[in-house]
Amino acid sequence: MNVLLLSASDARPMYQQIIDQITTRVMAGDWLPGQALPSIRELAASSGVSVITVKRAYEDLERAGLIATRHGKGSVVAERLDQARGLFEDALTRSLVDAIAHATRLGLDRGQLHQRLDVELDAAESTPTPTQGNLP
Amino acid sequence: MTAAFAVSGLCKRYPHFALQDVSLTLAEGEVMGLVGVNGAGKTTLLRLLTGLAAPDAGSIDVLGHRLPQAQVAAKRGIGFASEDMRLYRSQSLDWHIALVRQIYPEWDDNYAASLMRRFDLRAQQPIGGYSHGQRVKALLLLCLARRPRLLLLDEPTTGLDPVARAEVLEALADVLRDERRSVLFSSHNTHDVEQLADHIAFLHGGRLLAHRDKESFLDDWRRVLCLGSLPPTLANWPEVAQVRSAGSQIEVKLRAWRDDLPERLAAQGLTVQRVDPMALEDIFVTAVRAGGAA
Amino acid sequence: MNQVLNLPLIRLLVIKDWQLFQKQLAAYVLAGIVALALLGLARPWAFYLGSLLLIIVLVAGSCFSISNSLLVERKEQTLAFVMSLPLSPLDFTLAKLAGNLLTFGVPFGLLLLGTLVVVLTTPLPDGLVVYSLLIYGHILLAYSVSLMVAMQVESEGWNTFAMIASNLLVNPLIMLLGQIDAISIPARADAIVWSLPAVLILSAQVLLSLAALGFTAWWHGRKPAFY
Repeated sequence: MNVLLLSASDARPMYQQIIDQITTRVMAGDWLPGQALPSIRELAASSGVSVITVKRAYEDLERAGLIATRHGKGSVVAERLDQARGLFEDALTRSLVDAIAHATRLGLDRGQLHQRLDVELDAAESTPTPTQGNLP
Repeated sequence: MTAAFAVSGLCKRYPHFALQDVSLTLAEGEVMGLVGVNGAGKTTLLRLLTGLAAPDAGSIDVLGHRLPQAQVAAKRGIGFASEDMRLYRSQSLDWHIALVRQIYPEWDDNYAASLMRRFDLRAQQPIGGYSHGQRVKALLLLCLARRPRLLLLDEPTTGLDPVARAEVLEALADVLRDERRSVLFSSHNTHDVEQLADHIAFLHGGRLLAHRDKESFLDDWRRVLCLGSLPPTLANWPEVAQVRSAGSQIEVKLRAWRDDLPERLAAQGLTVQRVDPMALEDIFVTAVRAGGAA
Repeated sequence: MNQVLNLPLIRLLVIKDWQLFQKQLAAYVLAGIVALALLGLARPWAFYLGSLLLIIVLVAGSCFSISNSLLVERKEQTLAFVMSLPLSPLDFTLAKLAGNLLTFGVPFGLLLLGTLVVVLTTPLPDGLVVYSLLIYGHILLAYSVSLMVAMQVESEGWNTFAMIASNLLVNPLIMLLGQIDAISIPARADAIVWSLPAVLILSAQVLLSLAALGFTAWWHGRKPAFY
């Protein structure tokens, strides 16, 4: 049974793929709050990636509040995902503030900024773009 | 916790080559990838670690045993497979298994059988009839089925077709489950090292240029594309490993990435277009060509 | 250097060497038996043919044994596999020597026994016992020297030279034996006569063989590592 579907063909570094896929699975409800995640070693062995990479991903996920590691007992999906969500919200807010700053420098008004947003959304829908996805 | 191996100030001299002052440690449960060009000393280092060769200077401790004096005890826990190792062509894999099984009580028949299925090896066929890839897999099977505490592998995937390589990597990944087992493998296939290794050791000209954990090693390197005119002093920055320019397109490969580097590049009049991490293969070739420390 | 010998492993390796070559060894013994049969006919032509064939079989057998267990292993690179097993250079040396002695010694011993039986039970003069033992003694010495060289030197050329040269020296030996009256005259008679020259030569052959083998074991056994 595959735990994660990682690939060298993916442009993102391995630890990033792990982070993103676990995030996706949790958001999709595959793993519920409080549910145990595979141990670092188990995930490393079944995905064929180094332990250090999985460790890095788990550490990042823990910092982001998506998972919680109990000392000596492995990791579980965080009970309160809203904390993680809050972090995602913060990141989005920061990006939007940046975008507004750029737009102001370019002299775009609100309507033009909305148009630019639509253009990017259309582009994103038609081609799969690699997410920068570094969890804060 | 005993280190899988600890080597200090290791020197070994041959008529046309010398391994000099190599100090390296692998903690238990970790995987180390040994990278280097042909003739850099990877095989020599591996031979010293398996107790097949004795050092001219320095100390080697493998699984807590001092080599070469305690080589018998050390070899009981070591699984060694190298590119120049061959099995008896007139005999079958079953014959080899029967031999090895009598020597190592930890031999796991079930695991051997499952590896034979995964590797698709015919147990009764004389080894002489095997293809190169099958031979390599057979050697690995003889190592893996004993579950040795330390695997020392010299070029385990070199010369294998992509399917065989994937099979071998999967079998190696199984070792990761056991936190008491460690692996050192040398490989030209930097992708394998990049994927499976926790640590990277970089040998060149008989010296250890670098040994770091893989994630921070890879994190240190970036390839930056910029626009502008090439500042003459850029190549002299200690962080810069290589600079190439084509008209106003400039490519800089940096070996010691800091977050303030884009600003510093901008201060030189360059417009940073993109910053990308580098694949280990690229890092390897760049570092060798740049010379000096990686 | 204190070393505990890994006897079970040595035994396994010796058996391995035996298993690898038992079919070919059987062929040598068979050819040797044919040679002995010819000898037993006790006719001049058969005697010369038989003794020639016997010497060829003995020489070929001793070269085969060294060649396969050492030279071929080096060329085929199977030595690395053996060296990676949990054994010390001393274990390895002893296993190689013992394996070699077995693959050489069994056919050698069988044919030696066969020769004595043929000489004693057929119309052939019993005095030939001493003579043939001296020939066998030389084969043993040539083998020991060749083995010593093979364990030391990797060059296939030098090893071939050592094997051929040492074995071909049996010809001058035969001539020499013919010149020594104390040996050549009793050889045609039906009594077994141990003359002083015969005893000296045979002792020298055996002692030098043991010395060569002992030196080899000591020299290679004291290496701390293989390379």
